[in-house]
Amino acid sequence: MAKEMSPERPRVGASSEDVAISETSSFFWKRSLWVTLLRTVIVAGFLLLWEIASGRWIEPFLISSPSRIFSSMMNSFQSGDLLQHTWVTFQEIAIGFPLGAISGIALGYWFGRSQLLAEIFEPIIMALNGIPRTALAPLFIVWLGIGIWSKVGVVFLLTFFLNFFNTYAGMRQMDQEYIDLARLMGASRWKLTFRVILPAISPYVFTGIRTSIPFSVIGAIVGEFIAATEGVGFFIRLSAGIFKTADVFVGIIVLMLMVIAMDKVADLIEKRVLQWQTHTEHVRIQG
Amino acid sequence: MERSHQVATRESSSRDDAEKAQGANRLVIQVENATKIFQTPDQGRMIALEGITLNVPYGEFVTVVGPSGCGKSTLLKLIAGLTPLSGGRILYQGSEVRGLNTKVGYVPQESKLFPWLTLEENVAFGLDSKRYSKQQREHQLRHFINLAGLTGFEKYYPAQLSGGMGKRASIIRALAYEPPVILMDEPFGPLDAQTRMVLQDELLKIWEQQRQTIIFVTHDLVEAVALADRVVVITHRPGRVKDVIQVPMQRPRNIFEIHRQEGFDEAYGRLWNIFRNELNIRNNSNG
Repeated sequence: MAKEMSPERPRVGASSEDVAISETSSFFWKRSLWVTLLRTVIVAGFLLLWEIASGRWIEPFLISSPSRIFSSMMNSFQSGDLLQHTWVTFQEIAIGFPLGAISGIALGYWFGRSQLLAEIFEPIIMALNGIPRTALAPLFIVWLGIGIWSKVGVVFLLTFFLNFFNTYAGMRQMDQEYIDLARLMGASRWKLTFRVILPAISPYVFTGIRTSIPFSVIGAIVGEFIAATEGVGFFIRLSAGIFKTADVFVGIIVLMLMVIAMDKVADLIEKRVLQWQTHTEHVRIQG
Repeated sequence: MERSHQVATRESSSRDDAEKAQGANRLVIQVENATKIFQTPDQGRMIALEGITLNVPYGEFVTVVGPSGCGKSTLLKLIAGLTPLSGGRILYQGSEVRGLNTKVGYVPQESKLFPWLTLEENVAFGLDSKRYSKQQREHQLRHFINLAGLTGFEKYYPAQLSGGMGKRASIIRALAYEPPVILMDEPFGPLDAQTRMVLQDELLKIWEQQRQTIIFVTHDLVEAVALADRVVVITHRPGRVKDVIQVPMQRPRNIFEIHRQEGFDEAYGRLWNIFRNELNIRNNSNG
């Protein structure tokens, strides 16, 4: 967070707070160095403790150990096995996530525009939302088989609802005055949609996308747990079944990296699209 | 750059002349017996405006003044077609307004610049590509940004601008696409006294060059007199036209020493008399 401070452009009507921040930027720089250092120490300490505990105080087949996890990761990558599993899971998400996100956003937008549609379908959607969605995963296996498409379905489902609800919430928060002004200025339907409404709700849309990223991975893994012949979820379940705990952790790490990578991409896009916003809100929170 | 802008203004003024010559009457806005009734949450009826009649000729600067909550803003919304009438009718250039009137520009109470667009993009929003060539757009943009003293801030987002700058930008956004009528809803309300005066001065200077019709709502009596050709006084609920006062002051006016200008005292005195009577009546009825 602190690193984001320094390149911040000053506001025009700079308040005393803003001035104070720019004057003390060296303080923030030092502070961020400290934060990083402390963080590293904590993580290293934890790993060290884990390594020591494993085999001495706790059975290694229960918790494995960092060194074991590292060497099994090398092995599994070298054999190409894990890469294949990762690739399968990636495909499931790469298809299901964008489909779910786009249709969720589109429907949320549509509901926001049409009151009739919202009135008819809102209770239905709410009822459907009450279903624990992962409970539907076995059904998807029945419908779409044990290949990647059943997992794509689960990913789609999880992603869709989160994006739908967030976009719809954004539409309901939309300031009518912006729409009125744009229409008075003669904005066409297209212009109203893409220059006014979508940018206005974009913070909500991005919240939907960001929150649905980990859920899309959950969807893929749950599907693979239930029935699959490939994929990281399958790999984890298989490894756990034969007490190869280190491999279970390897799978978990791969999933974690996957989520982090997706989040990073979303973050980059969000920073660009919501450029107008980052200038204000981050400063205000910190000031 | 300057020259070609002059060409543009000449064109538009000749267009206005043509419009004036065409129309049998020289009135641009006619409000005839307009009534607006709101439904209150407890199923009651609240009469916001009752039997408002107001004729505005081309190029006039009208201020509408009244206590807060008297329906001044509602009157502007009715003229813009943003909210339907409960009775009466409103004519624009002799024909009845049905639905949105895109011939009027609107400056809302808060600046309401689109926060996701830069200052430049905000001001250019109404400059439709069908009516303005790319070059004309550029000229209009430069001219108005310069007029408002915002040169150099074109790429700034609204959140980076001070309150006064946002206000200026909001006003030139409505002026830039040259709507024949501009509605202003207490645009200087929340500003401090100095900024207010500076902006009033700038508004008059801009208006003296462009001479659009302006209907300006305010609750500030000094502002109402200082800016207007005519002041319309509206009473508290139900809002009715109490009186219309001609302001005999010469133009151009010096906002900073408006009290010393001939005609100010007379007009202000008459206006204050009306308000004093209102207050007396209310005091008596309370006591």
